[in-house]
Amino acid sequence: MRAFVGALLLSCDVAAQIARELALDDARFSALHAQLCAAPPETWESVPWRIDLLAAQQEAAAAKKPLFVWAMDGHPLACT
Amino acid sequence: MELLRAHFVPVALDQAYERREQDAWGEFYRAFAKQGPRADMQATTQGFYVATAAGELLLYNNNRNPEKLLRLLREARERFASSEASRVEVAPRPRGEREARYAPRPPEGGLVLRVRSQVLGGYPEPTDEVQRAMQRSLGRDNLWLTRDEHAELARGAFPASALERLARFHFVDNTRGEPPMWAKQEVRTLHARIVNGVIEGRFELATEKDAGEARRYHGELRGRVEVRDGVVTRCDLVALGGFRGEGRYTQHAPPGEFPFAVAFELADGQALADAIPPQGSRGWVDGYLRPR
Repeated sequence: MRAFVGALLLSCDVAAQIARELALDDARFSALHAQLCAAPPETWESVPWRIDLLAAQQEAAAAKKPLFVWAMDGHPLACT
Repeated sequence: MELLRAHFVPVALDQAYERREQDAWGEFYRAFAKQGPRADMQATTQGFYVATAAGELLLYNNNRNPEKLLRLLREARERFASSEASRVEVAPRPRGEREARYAPRPPEGGLVLRVRSQVLGGYPEPTDEVQRAMQRSLGRDNLWLTRDEHAELARGAFPASALERLARFHFVDNTRGEPPMWAKQEVRTLHARIVNGVIEGRFELATEKDAGEARRYHGELRGRVEVRDGVVTRCDLVALGGFRGEGRYTQHAPPGEFPFAVAFELADGQALADAIPPQGSRGWVDGYLRPR
């Protein structure tokens, strides 16, 4: 019985902890918004990507450079 | 990255558009992509390509190992430099009209919001740096609001249509790949209100309990809206809750329920990515703006 009550209290503690972690008050809102929307740029973001393939073809022809094409399911710049 | 900047013209695209487009963009993409191992344009052609401006494929690779990609890029650069392709004049391909369904634009008079998502915990200890990076990665997308929704938001009400779009197409775990969206009947609870510029709401999204890939996301919504002269000048939102499950292309989610957040902010149009259409609008913008 003691083990059962102990396990019950422990699961209540865990549930309460999860509820606290998921509570969205003003402070948590501001912190999370900054964490997600003001995250430092990632390395791949420093590349001057083009998103118009034909404009890039024109540029590559003029500069005599090859194209590097990052082609994904979902746009690499906005669905990653 | 310096190699890309100095010696290549780097392009990022969603190949689901280009491989289908019946226009000059699609023709050029297919011209080099068909020379690679993923030549079937009815299936995904994702990967990294190096091609000449004339459309000759020099490299295809779909390996995410940065060291291997760097080595292959150096080899492709050398191959290009020593080839005739680096010396011949190539004419720009005629553009013509772009097929409209593959070049959607945000609704006139509407709003674009940047969307970021993140798993906040629950993963097992990573076994390598790639896994560590994946576990910390941010999901990205854009949310489009219509002119009418913009006006309603500016009047201080949260438009029901925008709330449904937010939930069905953006309360998704896209941090590990292309996520499954939510069907209309999977929206169990969804409400939000604005009081003195503060947004508060609750949501629960869930697939059928006995579904093979059962998923659930439930929690709270909070945000701030500011309006000047009838124009929304700030729209910061955060959804926070417990997420469970994964999709076919988003495998290796944390086990059980894990904390998951989605944040939104008004896009100022300065970032190149602000021009990318929402993932949920792919191929069917009307279905995204007016979901059934």
